[in-house]
Amino acid sequence: MLSRVADSLYWMSRYMERTDGILRMLRINYASSQDDLQNFSWKPVLSIFTYLDKDSAAAIAHQSRAVLQYMVTDKENSNSVLNIVTLSRENARSVQDHITKELWQCLNDFYHTIRDDQVVRGLYADDPISTLDVLIRHGLLYYGITDITMAREEGYAFLNIGKFIERGVQSAGILDVRFSDLQLDFARTDPSYWKYLLLSISGFEYYLKTYRSGFDARNVVEQIVLSANFPRSILYSINRLQLHFQRLRGDGNQEAFQRIDFMIGKIYSKVRYSTVDSILQQGLHDYLVAIKEDLYKVGIALNQHYFAYS
Amino acid sequence: MQTNELLNNYHVDPRTWDEMYSLSAVRPQYEGVVSFLQQMSAEELTKKEELAKRLFMSQGITFTVYSSGEGIEKIFPFDIIPRIITAAEWKYIEEGIRQRLKALNLFLKDVYNSQFILKDGIVPSDMVYSCPHFLREMHGFPVPHDIYVHIAGIDLIRDSDGTFYILEDNLRTPSGVSYMLENREITKRIFPDLIPKNNVRTVTEYPAILHRNLASLSPRQTSHPTIVLLTPGIYNSAYFEHTTLARLMGVELVEGRDLVVDNHRVFMKTTAGRQPVDVIYRRVDDHFLDPLVFQPDSLLGVAGIMSAYRKGNVAIVNAVGNGVADDKAIYAYVPAMIRYYLNEEPILKNVPTYQLGNPEEREYVFSNMNRMVVKRTNESGGYGMLMGHSASDEEIHRYQQEILKDPRQFIAQPIISLSSAPCYLNGELKPRRVDLRPYALCGPDGIEIVPGGLTRVALREGSLVVNSSQGGGSKDTWVLTN
Repeated sequence: MLSRVADSLYWMSRYMERTDGILRMLRINYASSQDDLQNFSWKPVLSIFTYLDKDSAAAIAHQSRAVLQYMVTDKENSNSVLNIVTLSRENARSVQDHITKELWQCLNDFYHTIRDDQVVRGLYADDPISTLDVLIRHGLLYYGITDITMAREEGYAFLNIGKFIERGVQSAGILDVRFSDLQLDFARTDPSYWKYLLLSISGFEYYLKTYRSGFDARNVVEQIVLSANFPRSILYSINRLQLHFQRLRGDGNQEAFQRIDFMIGKIYSKVRYSTVDSILQQGLHDYLVAIKEDLYKVGIALNQHYFAYS
Repeated sequence: MQTNELLNNYHVDPRTWDEMYSLSAVRPQYEGVVSFLQQMSAEELTKKEELAKRLFMSQGITFTVYSSGEGIEKIFPFDIIPRIITAAEWKYIEEGIRQRLKALNLFLKDVYNSQFILKDGIVPSDMVYSCPHFLREMHGFPVPHDIYVHIAGIDLIRDSDGTFYILEDNLRTPSGVSYMLENREITKRIFPDLIPKNNVRTVTEYPAILHRNLASLSPRQTSHPTIVLLTPGIYNSAYFEHTTLARLMGVELVEGRDLVVDNHRVFMKTTAGRQPVDVIYRRVDDHFLDPLVFQPDSLLGVAGIMSAYRKGNVAIVNAVGNGVADDKAIYAYVPAMIRYYLNEEPILKNVPTYQLGNPEEREYVFSNMNRMVVKRTNESGGYGMLMGHSASDEEIHRYQQEILKDPRQFIAQPIISLSSAPCYLNGELKPRRVDLRPYALCGPDGIEIVPGGLTRVALREGSLVVNSSQGGGSKDTWVLTN
């Protein structure tokens, strides 16, 4: 596979995973903002998914509509859903001969939908949840079409590598921001805080089934970092990353394969053999930052050894 | 009935050949479509038209226009009423194109080798040597199977009496074939059952034939040669076509930056290291192909690719330097080439062409400007043209001054009216001028022309310019079996 193509598939997939993460986060937080006694603050969301400085974030932190606009349709925001869907589609456009026609059309439709004025109107004047649902559905279509139509070849491996690196980074980021928001005040008992955090990563029902005794910050950490079955946990993401990277074994490029395989294996062991206690002892923030950095390093190594073409 | 209104309001200019109507009767090849249209209301047709637009948009059959840093997706306008060619007309066109291409290939081989045709004075040497597309880099180099033109898109037009004329030979990187394929797919969607009922020949074999021809050019004796399609990239207006062809042939779509030349061999950069490339179907113009040989600042090509080509380590399709054969001034000599190389009379006629480099012909053209179309010999896409009948005296005067600066770069032709075909525009059926571009493929086993082609249409009323860059659109083109 051409290095440029692998690069484009990887980024197409990362951007779509990010799109899904942002949209879900917005949907749940908007719902939460309608349910809050205090003045709801978007600050944590803005700090996870945007590059706004403190002052600019503070300026819109209490205006739901402005945040939605900035994060979904703002052309100046390089991480707005509009811009990353456009990037994902541009990447797809340049590798149309490596993805199925259905997948290309799905991304192309998503692109045309998000550029439609109706999105702006829906977010600003109407019920934003309806609009966000439409967009989320496009993302789900993307996942389904990828699963059903894409051949299990090298390209599929790069798609998934991008997807799970992005997911791992996201989950670590969300957890980190949410807990530093609390100033690591684990005794905080407001159950809706945990409920909305879990809902925003589709982990609420799973939490209820696993931990029956109400909300406990330690359990939340356990589910998001260490659960082997929760599809957005850090452990799950790294496990999948490792699995899909194995697919590249034997495609030549042995030296690079071994180097990156080692890196991924090391991160996996680090997470697999952590416990909530060991994590808290090290400090949750430091632990999560280290994982994010390790994942970024895998991205850089892929770039050097697999994607470099110019 | 409202539908009869649709057809009754269709008024043909009596001085032009209409593809659907002769005098007042429907031509037999259009009967099927006309009776189908009679059952349709204008609203239904408008719905069909909207469906077609939506399909083009959602399938990404678009090109991007960049303005103020933002991309806007545009559709190449599509008219829903098909253009129909009878079996007899097609047979004639096919034979004519086959003959012409045979002669053009021989001409290219000759002009880049022994140059008999120049020595015998059939084509003037200065015509060839003054052509910017005549590339000395190609001299004395044997291309595989002596084929220079692997893919040709020869443009045909019809005069008021229905005679076909050759308008242009596109022998470099003719585009539009993906629209031939996609227009047909769209027609299948918007008019269910219409195609099988009308005995329309299929065009879907095009990618398979092209792929077979490309594979046969591989310099390596291998059953699975690496074939790539070289595109200038996603900003090119024909990018959609490049991806479609790559996908339909199952070949790798590459950009210049994906390729590298080492020791006169071309490789592509893959995740598993370098992989040798055997055949390059390039959609990059000659002058951008190799910065070491041609334009030094080009980023679209590959440094060293010409040396690999000349060593015979890679096949390039179409061959480099074909522009000398489809130059608008050389065009006038194609009938002479057919007589010279094949000892045959040309089947398809040329439009009479005046060389403005020749003082007598220039004199004649200048005194008959209002009946002439003047073109630059090395421009395409309908740019740099003057239509004498619609230009102001001021424009004509300015253009004449341009001509006098470098007369070799201009030719003139009497204005041919172009045949008209029905188009569905704003709820009405209107005659608009059309041309026809069939796609011919030359392989070691001969020349094949897929039954169909691209019908380009001048959507503006009265316009004779069909180029997409000048407000033209396209139609699905049917060739009937009987």
